[in-house]
Order: sequence, then C-alpha cells, then structure tokens
Amino acid sequence: MDASLKELAKLEKLASNSSSSKGKSPCITDSLDSLIRSLRDTRESIQTGAANETTFSGLSQKVDSTKKDIDDRQKEIYNSLAKFGKALDKRFTTPLPSYQPLFSSPEAVAALERTIARHFLRTGQFETAETFISESGVNVDPTMRSHFLDLHRIVTALKAQDIAPALEWAACNRAFLESRSSPLEFHLHRSQYLRLLLSPHPSNVSEALNYAKTNFKLFYPRYAADINKLMNCMTYAPRLQLSPYADLASPALHYDLEPMFAKEFCANLGMSRQVPLRVVGDLGGGGALARIEKGRKVMRERKSEWSQADELPIEIPLLPENRYHSIFACPVSKEQSTDTNPPMMMSCGHVITKDSLQKLSKPGGRVKCPYCPNESQVSAALRMQF
Amino acid sequence: MAATTLNVDGVMLFEQPFARVPYENYRKVFRTSQKNIEKELGAIQTAASELARKARSGAANPEDALRSIDAMMKRAEGLKKKLNDLQTNSGAPTLQVIRERLQHLAAVEDIESVRSPEFARWADTRLDRWLIDWTLRHGREKTARRIAAQKGIGTLVDIELFSDIRRIEDALSRHSCTEALAWCSENKAALRKVKNPLEFELRLQEFIELTRARKLMDAITYQKKYLIQWQESQAVQINQASALLAYTPISAFGPYKRLYDLSRWQTLIQSFRVAIYNLSTLPTEPLLHLAMYAGLASLKLPACYNQETTNIDCPICDPDLGKLATEVPFSHHVNSTIVCRITGKIMDSDNFPMAFPEHGTVYSREALEDMASRNEGQVTCPRTKETCHFADLRKVYIS
Repeated sequence: MDASLKELAKLEKLASNSSSSKGKSPCITDSLDSLIRSLRDTRESIQTGAANETTFSGLSQKVDSTKKDIDDRQKEIYNSLAKFGKALDKRFTTPLPSYQPLFSSPEAVAALERTIARHFLRTGQFETAETFISESGVNVDPTMRSHFLDLHRIVTALKAQDIAPALEWAACNRAFLESRSSPLEFHLHRSQYLRLLLSPHPSNVSEALNYAKTNFKLFYPRYAADINKLMNCMTYAPRLQLSPYADLASPALHYDLEPMFAKEFCANLGMSRQVPLRVVGDLGGGGALARIEKGRKVMRERKSEWSQADELPIEIPLLPENRYHSIFACPVSKEQSTDTNPPMMMSCGHVITKDSLQKLSKPGGRVKCPYCPNESQVSAALRMQF
Repeated sequence: MAATTLNVDGVMLFEQPFARVPYENYRKVFRTSQKNIEKELGAIQTAASELARKARSGAANPEDALRSIDAMMKRAEGLKKKLNDLQTNSGAPTLQVIRERLQHLAAVEDIESVRSPEFARWADTRLDRWLIDWTLRHGREKTARRIAAQKGIGTLVDIELFSDIRRIEDALSRHSCTEALAWCSENKAALRKVKNPLEFELRLQEFIELTRARKLMDAITYQKKYLIQWQESQAVQINQASALLAYTPISAFGPYKRLYDLSRWQTLIQSFRVAIYNLSTLPTEPLLHLAMYAGLASLKLPACYNQETTNIDCPICDPDLGKLATEVPFSHHVNSTIVCRITGKIMDSDNFPMAFPEHGTVYSREALEDMASRNEGQVTCPRTKETCHFADLRKVYIS
C-alpha cells in the first residue's frame, strides 16, 4: 500500500489548491486571482480613460496565459490521478470473482437474516440488532435475546473484576458444568482468592485465607492438588513471580475467565464458542477464496472438470481451532472414510478403512498389517468411532 | 498445515472495491472541475478576444467594454468560488476517505499472525464493513447507518452511493425512468466506453409506455428524438418497438407482448444495478456472500449433516449456516485429523488417540488420563457409557 499512499500524498498536495502547494504550474486560485486583478486594472484604466488598444490586447493575452496555466495545472492533477490509479492497479491485480447469485432463495435469505441478527446479539450490538430485526422482520427467539443480554452483563462485570454475577450463574448451572468437567466455578474462586492474596495491602492475606476456607471446600475432592498449591503459595505472597508458584501470578489466570465463561455459557445454550460469522468470514476472507479461485483457474487451463463436482479441488488449510470434526483418510486407499466404509483398527492398533482391510485379507480371514509385521484376523478388527 | 501467518494477498482480493470506489468518486469531482473550467474560462477567453478585436478596429465603446469586463470578472470570481467549494465539499473529503481506507489496508499488511489481537480488531471492522455492504444491498439502510455510527466507520463504507442506487431503483419500481436517465447522462462517457446499452433500454421503456397509453403522436416524436440515434447498434429492437404503434397491449403477441410485459421494469432495475456496480467497480455479489461461499466450503463436511457427529462449535452444524452451506461444495482433505470429542483438541503422537475396547469410541489420551485420575483409574465413554479400566484402553495408530 506504500506506493499508493505515496502517489496519494502527491495528489493531495496538487489538489489542495493553496499557494503553498507546489507544482510545476501555479495553483488555480492564484491564477484566477491574478486574472481578476488584471480585469480590475483594466476596468480602472477604462474608467480613467487610459485604456487603449494595447490594454485590451494585453488583457486578451493575459486571459490566454491564465487559461494555459490553469490547463497545465489540471493536466498535472490529471497525471497525478492517473499515476495513483496505476499504483492501485499494481496493488490489486486480481479482480473479485463473479459467481451466480448466492444465497438468494427465500429460505437462504431468511437463514442468513437470522444468522446476522444472532450475530449482532451475540457480539453485544443490541441496538443494531433491534434496528435490523425491525427492518427485516426476521424472527428471533426473545428468550435468546435475554440470554445474550445476560451474557453481556456478566462478561462486562468480569472485565471489571467483579466475579459475583459469573459465580451466581455457575452455581445455578453446576450440574451442567460438572457434566462437561468444566473448571469454571473453581477458576472463578481461584481468581478471587489470588486477587485478595496479591492485592497491594498485606492485610488481605487473612481475608484470602478466609475466602479459601469458605469457598474451596466444595472443590476439594476434584481439585485437591490445585488447592494445596494455592494454599502453599501463600508463603511467598505477595512476591509470587519469584517463587516456585510463579504460574499463579500470571494475569492470564484472570483474563482467561472471560472466554471460558462465554464458552460455557454458549455451550449451555447449545451455541458455539466462537462467533460463527467471524469464523466463516475470516476463513473466506483470509485466503480461502483466493485458493479456490486459483484451483478453478488451474482446472480451467487443464480443461478438466473437478473430479468430484461437489467437493473443492484443493485443500484449504485450517487452524487447529477450526477443526470441528475428525477426518479419517485411509493411508492405503487415500479415500475418506464413510458410514459404509468405516475406519477399522487391526489388533496391532493400525487403522485402515474397511474396503482396504478386505482387499488385503488372505484366505482364512487373516490380514497382514501394511505398517507393521503383525498378522491378525479380519474379524478381530474393531470399528473406530471418532 | 496450520498457517497462522496472515495471507495478505487473500485478504486483499476482497479490498479492490474498497479502494476504488472513492478513487472513482474523486475522478468524478475532477471531471466536474474540468467542465466548469472549460465552460467559464472559454467564455472569458471569447469575451476578451472579442474586446481586443473591437479595440483594434476602433469600435470599442467604454460602456460596452466596462460591461464586458464586469461580466468577465463575475465569471472569474464565480469560477473561483465554484472550484473552492468543490474542493472543500467534495474533493478534500473524498481524498480523506481514500487516505483513511488506504491506511486501513496498510495496517493489515503489517500484521503477521492471524492470532494477534490487532488482526482480531481488523477482522471485526472488516465484518462490520461486509455487513454494511450486505444490508445496503438488501435495502436495510437504517441498520447500515447504525453500524457505521456505532463503530465510527462512516469513511470506510459507501452508504451514500448505495442510497443513491436505492433512490434510482425505487423510482424504476414506481415506473419512472427520469432518475435513471439522469444518472445515465452523468455517466455517459463511462457507459459508452463499456458499450452499456442501459440508456437505450430506458428510452425504449419510455417509448413503450407512450404506446401503452396509446399516445401515438407523442410516441412517434419520442422515437425520432431519442431512439433513432441508436439505430446502428439497436436496429432490431427499434424495428420491433415501432410495431407497437400498431399493436395494443391486448392485441400484441410474441416479441411485442414481451415488450409490453411489466416485468420489463424488473429487468431494467437489474440492468441498472449491474451498470452502476460495474462503473463503481463493485462486485455484483455482496462481499459477505463471497467470503461466506469460500469460508463455508472450507469447513463443510458430511459429518456436519449427521445428527450423531454434529459439534455445536462448528459453524456449519448450525442449522441456518448449514442451510446456506448446501449451496457450496464440500471441503477436501488428504490427511487424517482426529479431533477429541471431549477436549476438542487435535490428537497427535504425544496426545495419541485411545479406543474403548468394546465399542471402539476414540478419545485423546489427555482426556482419558484426566478422567482416570479422578475416578480411581476407571474411564467411561460419554457416548456409549462403556466403562473400563484405563489400562484396558487400546492405543490407536493413525498414519
């Protein structure tokens, strides 16, 4: 973008139309001012009767030269504008691809509108959500709306180091959190305890101890080791950074509560931990479209169609956090496993798909693993469920 | 495979219209200034040489000369004011918009990792821009204005352009061509350059409306004035249209009936939209759609549509996004990736997969070890409730 910004700076200077803006030709305001002065002079000389043939031919010449100056200046601006345009051309070499209209059926539009409305709610843009819902008449479950209001109230409190609303929610949903073995409630207490312990006033150590006594009891069966650590670290407070318990001094222990809370809160409502529209948008706008287009172009040049019409011809790299499902590609056949061709584990622990297993089987139902010396019964292979 | 480095080219693919729309706007401002200069200075030039010619031939009369000088002065001052106003009200703000947008794009060029908070903020703004683009294209202007105001990104979106488009489209749906024709005349040169026949189509519609109302004399005058000039490129259509003088909407058949069809107005709206998007270098599809097409396709798997394997964290498993994803192809994968259903982590040689001996359900070592440590070595599959001792789990090798 540097080249474009440089050309833009030149253009801005030329276009600013003030005397200080340097160009090869004078700026337009100056040229016009000088022309107006000449006109005024001519007017005076007419009034005083001093005007003669030369006055008028002089004026005509002055007008011509002004016109030329102004034309030159405009040409300069025009050239600068063209240069800037060229810099843009250079930066943006590939145009956006054009597709057949997407998501245009009434059902698709409705689905997208619901997605957008939920996006506004989920990201805490409640007023925008209101406007959008009334403008598009999309139906959004009012209870969902109140859930999101709750979420934002609690997260805002967490940001302000107030864990009370989060704790209240966690206590109400303790069974749910336990079923997910989520440490949220314990981590909330841990954060509060450490805050008390590490606050600049030493008197709070006893308060921290009291806090621990009342609140950690419930968690002792599950988090005994963690709680022991938390109690022992007291010896070093408030200089935890230099102690064997330095990890407990990390600010991340507190910051991580917000995403952890949001994740559990959303999971409880059956919603994803990331903002879905952001995930999809970041993937698409972070190289996926460029890759897909490149793949298409290669296919076109080879004049071949995609082998599987309903599958992308290329793989789009994904971050670990965007891997939501297990994919098993058979190391023998390179095919993805399906319900009818599931992954099977032989007794040695190596996994191949059922079809490959059957192809490799020998009379007597025995199969030699292609990856190790082990030989086993085909019937002993265990179907994997990832 | 896990590319955390930001793919700048992939990002920039979407940003061409973002940079170009204000550039085109500035070119328009420049053209207006040029037009004014040519008109006013040309007039002054003629007046001055006329004055000089008269003085040479001795026909100059001081009063006439004074009047002529005053007129020239008025023109010069008017031009100066017009150019200054143009620069203050349109030129400078447009250049400022260009600058802010380029700086916004320059900021992303410096971001290295997609995991950095800078990128998260940038991508938030980008999604806001896409949502504004989408809402504007779908006539949800209030929402668009609200997002822009709340996020303070008015210079990063083209609300004015779209509200202009909407104004003209609304006029067309009220069966009025006036606004669209005014736009055509403003952009005559650009339309001619890309050989866009929108103006002819609009003129033809006005002619059709005259014949529909059976104002035949008016129709003939109109045809002479506005249609004949297109003879070279649109001869067939002009001939067909002439026949409408003979056919009423009721007696018309075949191509003539089609010309009378009111759905032609809808087609005109489409043609207008394509023309103005084209001239403003906007893609015909909303940017959000293009990003979603690629994003959904990168994630879509058959597993997203199977009740047993859905994952609430997966965007495609959401019923609405899943519905939208039916329009895109499935993702393609060459290698296995086994994701633990308890921790959500990808398993590898350190955190290897382990299977329950009876049903073959697989989880990561970390998840199972954690479970065993809390249950005296016993582990229970959350899906099948199969319970066994940790030592009885089978290590799984995925190659």
